[in-house]
This record gives sequence, structure tokens and C-alpha cells, in this order.
Amino acid sequence: MFAKSKMTKIEDWLWEIPRSYRDDMRVPARVYASSRMLDQIATDRSLEQLVNVATLPGISGYALSMPDIHEGYGFPVGGVAAFDAEDGVISPGGIGYDINCGVRLLAADVPVDAIRSQLGELGKALYREVPSGVGRGGRLNLNDEDLDRVLEGGARRVVELGYGDEGDLQRIESQGTLPQAEAELVSPHAKSRGRDQLGTMGAGNHFVEVGVVESIYDPAEAERLGLWLGQATVLIHTGSRGLGHQVATDYIREMGRVMPRYKISLPDPELACTPFTSPEGQKYFQAMSAGANFAWANRQLITWEVRQAWQQVQGAAGGGLRLVYDVAHNIAKIEEYRMGPASKRMVIHRKGATRSFPGQPVLVPGSMGTRSFLLVGQEKAMLESFGSSCHGAGRRMSRTRAKKEVQGGELKKRLEAQGITVNVGKLSGLAEEAPEAYKDVDEVVDVIHRAGIAKKVAHFRPVAVIKG
Amino acid sequence: MAYRILEHTADVRLLVEGRTLEELFREALRGMMEVLKAEKKEGGVESQRRIEIEAAGRTALLVDFLNEALWLAHTHHEAFTRVAFDEISETRLKAALRGWPVEGFGEDIKAVTYHEAEIRENAAGNLETVLVFDI
Repeated sequence: MFAKSKMTKIEDWLWEIPRSYRDDMRVPARVYASSRMLDQIATDRSLEQLVNVATLPGISGYALSMPDIHEGYGFPVGGVAAFDAEDGVISPGGIGYDINCGVRLLAADVPVDAIRSQLGELGKALYREVPSGVGRGGRLNLNDEDLDRVLEGGARRVVELGYGDEGDLQRIESQGTLPQAEAELVSPHAKSRGRDQLGTMGAGNHFVEVGVVESIYDPAEAERLGLWLGQATVLIHTGSRGLGHQVATDYIREMGRVMPRYKISLPDPELACTPFTSPEGQKYFQAMSAGANFAWANRQLITWEVRQAWQQVQGAAGGGLRLVYDVAHNIAKIEEYRMGPASKRMVIHRKGATRSFPGQPVLVPGSMGTRSFLLVGQEKAMLESFGSSCHGAGRRMSRTRAKKEVQGGELKKRLEAQGITVNVGKLSGLAEEAPEAYKDVDEVVDVIHRAGIAKKVAHFRPVAVIKG
Repeated sequence: MAYRILEHTADVRLLVEGRTLEELFREALRGMMEVLKAEKKEGGVESQRRIEIEAAGRTALLVDFLNEALWLAHTHHEAFTRVAFDEISETRLKAALRGWPVEGFGEDIKAVTYHEAEIRENAAGNLETVLVFDI
């Protein structure tokens, strides 16, 4: 339990743990949260983990956490850390094992009422078309050359193969490709683990969800993004699958081994890092970029699968599914920020945090069965939060406790009684993701909105959930 | 000896205990396989996979051993129920994993992390460590 008395209140929604809290802190730590949320956040190890991040070499400004923060391993989930690209570090644990886990929103041409009678059939078609669970392969089994092209080309390569169009690429963070990617720096282990997983959802908290635009807070922004009340939508949440997990595993081990060479000592070995400019730092960044590209390629192929299912069930009457936006929430990016009198190149680590550049859509999925939000980034994010915002509701209950308190079968019935069709591989997996295991997404988003780093545009309510 | 699952907000925290290094590693593998919830394939033939690991110390050796076993499980779609060590020291091991083909796994473990991992002697004189799995 972290003592709240050790924190300074900066605003009603922003708190600071001063450098004086622990001798090894290089910068303060800051937490976006309401007072009530902070009481809950302080109950697990999130804030001690955030303090550990504040000790890393070259960290700039402050170690930052969003209101959806929860305990992770090494870095907390819901965190942002900025390192000077000249003399700071890069840390694979600050991105996480699921490199470029992210969210994509599609908007339909038709209202949800036009498809309501077919939701059961649509749920089944989506479950069939988008492979899910652990060990179920995808429709493409890539040879070495094809896989390398995906790793270096990202979503663009998948579009070249016929799964989408140029318009899709324009509405993806970084157009779905990080140019720094080097396929040869992704190990044979990682390639073999991810080879057959392109176009698959995986398990855990990943999902495909059909929803409806239920409320609009900013009509002008909603119109700009092509969203209207009653419109059917599809949200896709997944990442780089086994390939990304193995890239992180490989490089965390490697960095742990070479760290003594750089005289870096850490409070937690999972924070393993090397200078960004070191050979190991550069290799990891290029391999991570390849993993990020694999994730964007994955969400692009899943988009094609979703469009297939949509058309199978509804034919021409269902219209199209337009990509609204795709954001990464586990990634490192090179960005420039004003630090004092000058602009500096920084390595921004986002682990369970979303980029929030002015005007850019920010997607915040709620827990299963609750609302998800679309916000747009604001100028204040560039000044205060290294262009970052929150990424979801944030867990508050362990998986074991969720399974003890919630029966998968009963939860399915409860969701269906709320008008939500559920297609799931494992009922126990459904229980782990029960809404009560998560914080209230409305509260999380309200903190972000009030802090002014992103503003609310619309929210969606699910009508069909598809999970592994 | 034993392993036990402890509370963690988002992932899985496992406490493992063994009288010897060999027993600790065996229990940790057993615990990881339980978390994975393998769904055994009917009529599958027992398989054997070899592992060789070197690390700077015994804790890193354990984490790297489990990550290698996890990689084998995911890429070959197998669950490992037994391990025979040809050699095990503080920094090096050679072992054979025996297992069965699976249809899939009920839970996904993305990785075994170094977070909170530290093999030490507990009050009963046994070796013990916590392991956090990213789920």
C-alpha cells in the first residue's frame, strides 16, 4: 500500500511523487487520477513500480502514469517514460512483451438497427473468420522471405497482398509501418513463434467487438471522423502475438547480460536497458519496430477478415467498413519535445498508453460489456504528457479472483440479457475479463478529458463480443 | 515440493519451492504448465525436446529455462510434463523435456519475467522464488 501522504496534489486530477521520496529517483513521478482512483491505485505495487522507472538513466521530465495504471512487472501498465535520444536508455520492459498491442476502430455505412436481427449470425461469422485462442494458426503461413517483407513493410505489405487499400494506411498511426524495422534482427525463435499467427486475435484481453455509437460529445469532431449516432462500429484489440513476445524475451535477456558493461544498476532486473545509442539499444529498437510492423500487419489482415464476415452475413445491404483509426499502446517512438529552451529528440516509451497528438483519434476500449470511447488528442498533451493519453479501463482485480467471483456461463447470460451477443472460445477466459475486474472506464476518461490532454468525442456500446 | 499461485492485478504470480535446484526448476516447469492449461490431443505420441541454457546466475538460469520451454511449447504445440537434467549448476543446464502434443492452451503466457525473481533459501532451508508470468 503506497502512502498517499507522500504525494503532492498538483491539480484535482494530477499528483506528484517528489524526487525526495527515494534517493535513487532522477525525476519525480506523476499520476493522472482523481483522489478516489488514487486510493485504489495505491493498493497494489503500481506506484512503487513507477518510482523505479523514475530511476532510469536519461529519463526526462517525470515518469508518468495514466489513470488506468495498474501493477505490471518492471514498468507499471499505463505508463509513459521519455528518454533523451542522445544520452538516455531504451528498455524493452517499457514497451512490454506484446509489442504494438493496439486498437483499431472501423465504422459501418449502416446503423446498428439495420443489422440487429443478424447479430447472432454475424458473431458466429466473425468467430469463424478471425482465428482466436492459443495455438490456433491463421490463414497465411509465411515463408522466410514473405515474413521479412511483413516485418519491414507492416500494414503496407498486407495491403500490397490485397488485404485492404491505401485509404486504410492513411488512418493508422505511423501509416502502419515503422521505417527503422530490420527483419534480420528478429531471431529465428521469434519468427518461428509468429510465422502462422498473422491475422489471429490470440487470447487474454484481446477481442473483436461490434458496437454502436451511443453518444456524441463533440459533434464537429465526430463529423470530421465520419461518426454519427446509431452507427454500427467494430473495434479490434490485439498485437504482435508470439512474434512480439519472443522479440521482447530475447532482448530483455540480452540487455540483462550486457548491462554491467554500461555500468547500469537497477532496482528491478525486468527494467533491463542499455543506452539508446549503444549497439544493443539500436538493435532492440530496430527489432521492436519489426515487431510493431507485424502487429499493424496483423490488425490489417484481421480487418480484411472482419470485412469478409460482414459481407458474408449482410451482403451488399451491409455496406462497407471504413477504418476510422488505429493506435498502438505498447511501443517506443522517436518524437521531439520542448525541454527548456530547446526541442529535443526523445525515445518515448508507452506501455499501456496511447499517443495523443493534437487532432489525432485516441481509442479507449472499456471492459467487456461496457462503453468504449473515442477521444482526440489536444495541444496540452504535447506540453504535459509527452503526447500521450490512457489506453483502456485498466484492471483492478486479479484473474484468479475474477474467476472465483464470476462464473463464465453466468456472465455470458448476463451480457446476453443486456443485448450483447457473446462468441467465446473459453468461458473461463470470459470470467477473467469480467467488467467487475476493471476500473470504471467513464472515470478514467473523465480524468483525461478534465486534464485536457485529450477530449471526449463519442462513446460506443457493444452489441456483439468475439473472444478467444 | 510445491508451487502456489499468488495474487497479481493483471498477470500471474507463482511461488515455487524445492529442496534442490533441480527440484525447484522441475516444480517451476510444472507450475507454468498448469497456468498454460494444456488441452491434450487425443492419440498423440510422446515427444522429447532438448534444452541447453547458460546464464549469469541461477535466477536468470531459471527464467531463461522456462522461457525456452515456453517457446518450445508454443512452436511445437506441446505440453511438457517431465524433465530430466543431464547437468545443472548455478549457471548452466542441459535437460530433456518430455511432453505431449496439444490442441491448444487455455491460457496464454506471453513470457516469464525477471520481475521479483530471486532464488533464495527460505526458513525451512529450501530454495524458493517468486515468478511473474506476463499473461
